[in-house]
Amino acid sequence: MRGAGVHSALLDRRSFLRMAGAAWAASLGARQSFALSRTDAVFASGYRDRDGSFGIAVLAEDGSIIDRTPLPARSHGMAFSPATGHLVAFARRPGTFALVIDQSGKAAPVTIAAAEDRHFFGHGCFSPDGRLLYASENDFDANRGVIGLYDARENYRRIGEYATYGIGTHDLSVSDDGRMLIAANGGIETHPDFGRTKLNLDHMEPSLALIDAATGALIERHTLPEKLRQLSTRHIDLDDKGRIWFACQYEGPRNDLPPLVGSFCKGEDLRFLSLPEETTLGLANYVGAIAVNRRENLVGLTSPNGGRFVVLDAKTGSVLREETVADAAGIAAAPHGFAVSSYDGRFAERRGDIAWDQHIAGLRR
Amino acid sequence: MQTRRHPFRFASLIAAGLMLSASPPVFAQESSTPVPPELTEQIVTGIMTRAVDDVIRPSYRAFQASAGKLAEATGAFCKAPSDASRKAVDDAFRQAVTDWGHIEIVRIGPVIDDNRFERILFYPDRKGTGLKQVQALLQKQEEKDTDAATMGGKSVAIQGFGAIEFALYGTGAETLMDKPDGFRCRYAAAVATHIETTAGQLVAAWDAPDGVQDDWKHPGPQNPVFRTGREAITALLGILVHGAEAVRDQRIETFYRNGGIARPKSAVFWRSGNTWTSISANIEGLQVLFDTSGMRELVDPNFASINENIDFVLKSLGHIAPMVDPDVEKAVSTPEEQQKINFLLVNTRDLILRLDAGYGGAIGLGSGFSFSDGD
Repeated sequence: MRGAGVHSALLDRRSFLRMAGAAWAASLGARQSFALSRTDAVFASGYRDRDGSFGIAVLAEDGSIIDRTPLPARSHGMAFSPATGHLVAFARRPGTFALVIDQSGKAAPVTIAAAEDRHFFGHGCFSPDGRLLYASENDFDANRGVIGLYDARENYRRIGEYATYGIGTHDLSVSDDGRMLIAANGGIETHPDFGRTKLNLDHMEPSLALIDAATGALIERHTLPEKLRQLSTRHIDLDDKGRIWFACQYEGPRNDLPPLVGSFCKGEDLRFLSLPEETTLGLANYVGAIAVNRRENLVGLTSPNGGRFVVLDAKTGSVLREETVADAAGIAAAPHGFAVSSYDGRFAERRGDIAWDQHIAGLRR
Repeated sequence: MQTRRHPFRFASLIAAGLMLSASPPVFAQESSTPVPPELTEQIVTGIMTRAVDDVIRPSYRAFQASAGKLAEATGAFCKAPSDASRKAVDDAFRQAVTDWGHIEIVRIGPVIDDNRFERILFYPDRKGTGLKQVQALLQKQEEKDTDAATMGGKSVAIQGFGAIEFALYGTGAETLMDKPDGFRCRYAAAVATHIETTAGQLVAAWDAPDGVQDDWKHPGPQNPVFRTGREAITALLGILVHGAEAVRDQRIETFYRNGGIARPKSAVFWRSGNTWTSISANIEGLQVLFDTSGMRELVDPNFASINENIDFVLKSLGHIAPMVDPDVEKAVSTPEEQQKINFLLVNTRDLILRLDAGYGGAIGLGSGFSFSDGD
């Protein structure tokens, strides 16, 4: 999962401070200022606090919390624009809010309400210039995924939507040049009348779609072979060559060992990675999040179901590291390797008593 | 410190407007956190076997039997309409709604294959799609629509409880008494027969010794449903959490939200006055699964209050739900009835939290059941 809509180096502390502004830094307490002064990278993640309330936190690389913003309900994925310093937390499906936070503190938070007959699917991304926010959404009565387009210059007014050319859209990303949107259509039908119930497990339609960001036209659509029709293509990240890495969750028989990770470039067929059997078993047929570390050419995966964190060599696909992390949740590229969080309170080196949600956004530029 | 309240005093307390939450009693005990159970094969198989053999399979059998009786009663009513035969239909319908309500909480397994759940109950029907189809069918009066054997190939909206309820209780149902063997009545009988058929498919699926029951009872590496005992127990807890969520979100809040606009004609089974029959049955189903499966035995005995509080809230809900006025229009517009519905909303929310975080945490799901549902 990508936190930002553009892809280059991680945002280091100095850059983050420049973007966030002196006013924001001055508002921090002593402990938070100390944490910020010592970190090489800055992250954001949704959380649930001890009292059951929800929020989004900005964290240092070591997992110490720098800042918190309360949210009305549980969030899921995030999008960050280094161009504007805006961070967006999307409600977890079938939620109907997204909260935009200006990290510079110059503007008040903006709450985006989902359009009528739409709900958020939990992910989105910014155009490289930060002017457009793209959100994955459900047109639930028509059972089709859409991309909501929001104009950041007009207080995030919804200015239109594109089709995702699939159903059960989940993650959404954009190419580095901003010309192409990538939609992970998980293929699972849901409807807010039935909560989070999966309505079509016996006839899923997973796909990955490349969409022209200027027109909404379909560029390419990759469906999965019949034997993998219950493999939900849910999360994506891009490497520095524009290769799209995708991670899956399998809804078929539990004793199957389907491929869970793959990659492709525009114009290519999907390539599934053949992981060792013990790695696939460890991931429990469920990859919850994926991240690419471009600098080190690594792909990281987490599985809460399997309690596993796996690092792959992006060039060869070989497993470089495999670690047991109970309730492994989010993952994002760090200056070295990955930052990994867990539902039970672990973030990088620290363990606290708030539960981290499924994704981490590396605040990049 | 709160004192223990007997659930059967709720009626008077509500009437007096004194309480909204069941406020489970504070049980003495507890320090630190519960020790999660060791989920041995024996323990998991024991619990899953009780859940399957003592709850799920008997409940589907009961539902099949009552659907059969509904078909029988409706057929007899069609042949000889009378007050007595009509009453037999009403009684059989209520019993079928009750028996479905008990097992409706299980929203995994064979019931979600081949759209069986929606075939039995197409709800909510927010845009009236199902209603329009049934009305059109009754208008056209084509004989093929009274054939239960071919009903499975048609729209799910015309083959379940929503359809038969409209035929028996909706606009124009008074004509059922006009003459024997009318189209509308024979269509209702065919729907009842089709519901019995679908229920029979569920019974057969669960009764097959090498089928789903074996998968549920014996988790393992070759098992297509549960690879580990933890996965099986988590799924069982999922039935309770999702069942409680469904009562609140899909059965009550579809027509009533505290302070919101009430939509009584969106309530499940409002035409037959069985809204609360259905909701009460859902709550009973949750209680029976929690009690009978032995799930409570997994909780650290030093934290017995986790089970006792769940039990208390379930009993409170089960006591109040049948007391709400079956006339939903009246229920949502009368302060005293509104208080009961608000009680159900507040306490289903409490029940979800106690199952999700309380019980889920106690059996080793550190952040609770729902939070672990990644996405």
